[in-house]
Amino acid sequence: MTFTRATTIEEAVTAMAAGARPIAGGSDLVVGARQGKAPLPDVLVAIDRIDDLRGIETSGQGLRVGAGVTHAELIGNETVVSSYTAVADAAALVGSPATRNVGTIGGNVMNASPAMDTGAPLLVLDGHAVLKSVDGSRSVNMADLWTGPGRTSADPGELCVAIELPPQPERSGSAYVRLEYRRAMEIAVVGAAAAVTVSEDGTIETGRVALTAVGPAIIEVADASVLMSGRDAKEAGAAAETAASKSATPISDLRAGDDYRRHTVGVMARRAVKAAAARARGETIAVPVNRSAGVGAAS
Amino acid sequence: MPLVTEAERFIRSDGPDKVTGSGRYVADLSLTGMLTAKFLYAGVPHARITKLDVEPARQMSGVFAVITQDDVPERRFGSVADRTLFAQDVVRFEGEVIAAVAAIDDDSAQRAIDAIVFEYEELPPLTDLEEAIKDGALLVHENWESYAAGSVVRDGNVASFTSIERGDVDEGLADSDHVITSRYVADASHAAPIEPRGVVAQWEGDRVTIWSSTQVPFQARDGVCETLDLPSNRVRVVVPHLGGGFGGKCGFHYEAHVAALARAARRPVRLVFSREEEFLAPDRRREGMIVEITTGMTNDGDIKARKAKVLLDNGAYSADSSFFPHMAAMHAIGPYVIENVSAEASSIYTNHQPSGSVRAPTAPQGCWAVESHTDELAAAIGMDPVEFRKRNCVDTGRMSATGQVFDEIGLQQCLSDAVDGLGDISNLPEDESIGVGVGWWGSFPGASGAYVKIDSDGRGVIITGAQECGTGSVMTLPILVAKELGMDPDDFELVYQDTSAAPYDSGATGSQTILNNGRATVEAAQQVAAQLKDLAAKELEAAPEDIVLVDGRAHVAGSPEAAVDISRLARIASRGEMLLGRGSGTPAEYPSAVGVSCVGDQDLSWWVGPQFSCHAARIRLDRDTGVVRVLEVSTAHDSGVIINEVGAAGQVEGGVLMGIGQALTEGTVYSEDGGQLNPAFLDYKLQTIADAPRIKTSFVEVHTPGMGPHGSKPIAEAPNVATAAAISNAIAKLIGRPVRQLPMTAERVWAEARS
Amino acid sequence: MSESLSLTVNGVAYSVNVDMGRNLLSVLRGELGLTGTKEGCDDCECGACMVLIDGKPVNSCSFLAVQAADRSVTTIEGVVTPEGLDQVQQAFLEKGGVQCGFCTPGMIMSARALLDQCPDPSEEEIKIGLSGNLCRCTGYSRILAAVALAAAAD
Repeated sequence: MTFTRATTIEEAVTAMAAGARPIAGGSDLVVGARQGKAPLPDVLVAIDRIDDLRGIETSGQGLRVGAGVTHAELIGNETVVSSYTAVADAAALVGSPATRNVGTIGGNVMNASPAMDTGAPLLVLDGHAVLKSVDGSRSVNMADLWTGPGRTSADPGELCVAIELPPQPERSGSAYVRLEYRRAMEIAVVGAAAAVTVSEDGTIETGRVALTAVGPAIIEVADASVLMSGRDAKEAGAAAETAASKSATPISDLRAGDDYRRHTVGVMARRAVKAAAARARGETIAVPVNRSAGVGAAS
Repeated sequence: MPLVTEAERFIRSDGPDKVTGSGRYVADLSLTGMLTAKFLYAGVPHARITKLDVEPARQMSGVFAVITQDDVPERRFGSVADRTLFAQDVVRFEGEVIAAVAAIDDDSAQRAIDAIVFEYEELPPLTDLEEAIKDGALLVHENWESYAAGSVVRDGNVASFTSIERGDVDEGLADSDHVITSRYVADASHAAPIEPRGVVAQWEGDRVTIWSSTQVPFQARDGVCETLDLPSNRVRVVVPHLGGGFGGKCGFHYEAHVAALARAARRPVRLVFSREEEFLAPDRRREGMIVEITTGMTNDGDIKARKAKVLLDNGAYSADSSFFPHMAAMHAIGPYVIENVSAEASSIYTNHQPSGSVRAPTAPQGCWAVESHTDELAAAIGMDPVEFRKRNCVDTGRMSATGQVFDEIGLQQCLSDAVDGLGDISNLPEDESIGVGVGWWGSFPGASGAYVKIDSDGRGVIITGAQECGTGSVMTLPILVAKELGMDPDDFELVYQDTSAAPYDSGATGSQTILNNGRATVEAAQQVAAQLKDLAAKELEAAPEDIVLVDGRAHVAGSPEAAVDISRLARIASRGEMLLGRGSGTPAEYPSAVGVSCVGDQDLSWWVGPQFSCHAARIRLDRDTGVVRVLEVSTAHDSGVIINEVGAAGQVEGGVLMGIGQALTEGTVYSEDGGQLNPAFLDYKLQTIADAPRIKTSFVEVHTPGMGPHGSKPIAEAPNVATAAAISNAIAKLIGRPVRQLPMTAERVWAEARS
Repeated sequence: MSESLSLTVNGVAYSVNVDMGRNLLSVLRGELGLTGTKEGCDDCECGACMVLIDGKPVNSCSFLAVQAADRSVTTIEGVVTPEGLDQVQQAFLEKGGVQCGFCTPGMIMSARALLDQCPDPSEEEIKIGLSGNLCRCTGYSRILAAVALAAAAD
């Protein structure tokens, strides 16, 4: 195995053009290799010391999160917590403090696991991945990026350099809720993210809902906005619940049966809508929703 | 009151090794020239070996030895002698060892494993307990009749059978106002110590030293001697620090494999398991179980009769599981006063991993079943479940279902204390409830030995065969010795877990260390005390019987001013008859069963030194998802007088968390063909610190003569009996009926609530 | 392919020749002889392998050794101060937070990192801070008490 360390994005994409695989925190690669799932790639280029991948910047265009930003850094960022709260909810639930220190948003997004916690929040908040290669740069929305379990539409030579999120409107809020058998160290059995805007009377104006671990990739509930629009949070949550369970195409495995997943993903969707709406109305629900709201997930 | 209370902040002597990282565990040892061992496993649950060729592996560079059953003596072992070190002809579970390799490094060892030619013809796996006992079922062991098994009652796939009968159960049921039948199924689970096991072996001439992560070094040594044809004095088993066991590291495991490898390789060899191997290979996991209980009672809530049938998943081999049916039958009957009982229990061969003693074997599942059933009984007549138990549970002077009349016991007090410990439970939110379970567990007297010496500077060493698996039991021995000698526990160091240095002890098994080795160590200390008194008597010109040993000094009773330091006496003794005590003591006798008839008797119809417990749990249920959180557990234990309160409470707290895991998240998931689907901590979920509830512990300290030192009884396994039962009963209150499968996963709770 | 790697562990600079695919845990325990850091699983689930890198807790089993180059690695062997045991270590002893001891080094590293970042943690903060460390012996009560005691003493 050969290992090189890039200090600039250009060095990294040059190495990738020559066949290197990027490694940031490395947890997924190393664990996968140790468990015999996939050997370590022959050529690795480390991207964990590239300064240009590390910042979180706010501008008129919204939020730009460097791909090398860790989950711990996301939770610690005031803008993420106040305006892109579902991302913070999700980042705070990933693994343990150690995994949150090492794991990066870029690594998560490019691993494209249907069980990744940050995926559904990025989808509902209209996140885009900025991909760069020696040939140039492009921006891909999440739904187009994730093509299946562990698969993305990115070319092998493309490096995810940042995630961009548009500015969030007034009276908007978001939340991510996950089913947890234990209060920590869980991998999503199901989860759901919601982002909504509310009118002055508190009813839902617009909204999006996306689901974790109930399909080959993170899936968005179609027409969620239409279903929820004009309703109060409770009615909107109920509508999202039904629609989420219908949208889900879960498998049965040792973590849960398909019926249970289909049911609970609806519950998570309802709770995510409820929390997102509360936040949109200006109420404070501490990050992550799961822990601030008690049993397993918000109730 | 405990001999040493919580407030005294007793610090265990191995603590500094452990908090600084300087303490060595097996995987931390390395010896000059040491090789790495790896095993080739069956990988399939049931198959006939058609070809096994290790020559290609033997020819590889960096490979020093490759061995199979052809390279070791033909010896069968186990409580039913049904297995050999390596597979022969047929493999019966996926983790069965086919061959072992010793090589210069991990990669070379793995390449050698991959080079072994292993071909087989798959046989249908037997995984269903009820299918396995049907007529004409495929036999897991075709030659079962040829195995040595002592008095174990067997038949085909029934690896061990026990029945307990007393009174006339049919008549009792016929006379009852209510007859209720329940069926419960418990999945298999794991001990899951955080340290995966390891073994290092090194030969010098015809003697071998084996460093092993075993809970039972003498049993491990005897296993090596038996399977490799060696005399006991040429095999030395040493345990460095042991990273937890919980029964999973009881028995004889891979010491002989590694010793045989080291002999063949002429080099020291080290085996360290991965977590996956730790899940798949050892012959120690908690047995799956099916329990059917029928109870008859009066309208007033008096239990008249109980019938129980228990099937246990023995797995492919009988490591130590032959006594499980008798133990399971006792738990299915429970600590109740019942005139008429009939219980039958069978341990059934399957193509699963073998079952073995995991912390209180058969008890958590058996207790969960009978205690969930007990709440169903109480509910049927609208009686408060605590009241129902108080009415029917055994008590001092009352006769148990198996005809045992107890001397002073504290079960009724445990019931009161545990429930009281939850505080005010009158106004719980609608998604919360409490549940209660009671449990019992025996004590296991047996032979054990220790030496105590005091050297010329007045400092002592306890040399004991006992094994410290983390519980702190061996760490408590200095308290007992210091008490006898009027010295400070810190004056004593320990030499322990070395089969050539110390007399026999059965190890960290059956919660027996303080009970048996404590008694032995006290006897050794008393011999030293007598020597000190003789010496002091000469120095002080007094009679030895008038001398007392206090605060490091010897003086005449009533005259503390006429005293001599023990260190001075030690100096005198070092020039002549040295201060050297040895003890083994006389174990308490097992009572004989009276009024009860038993087929397949394993001496468990009566408890000697019975321990009792009550656990009460407050839970919260997320009705939409079935997720249960345990908010608080209040426990009360009659484990006799407590010696070391920090240690004893630590056992209870650890037992409670293990019990919550068993109740909610820990269960082996099998594929249809008998392979484990979750051999990793990602999907075999131990409770985390974030899940840990507040735990309140009360000790009902009934002074119990004739058992452990100072009226004590054991404590390590009893806390792992009643937690799942308490949680089950709390869940049942919220959803209207019990969840009949263990673990009571969120999905199962949800499904039961909807049904 | 072996290459030379510079590591700074507990303030000591090391230069070792290792395959670039090696994880930090195996280099610490093997080449560097620092066996206080334990291996309990291989997938970031148990926390026995916890070390600090630039003061933050990291599962060394799932971290390439080469990624730690030029960073400051602290293992359990580096926690003891010249004056003796660290407050966290002392508190684990006094509160009975140690049984078999196999999870203890990892627990202490997580606790040390938590207290360095959050000197006065709530019970919930301690629980989340140590949630990546499994203990099978203690039931965690005494570990919680130990960290609270260390926080008060720090």
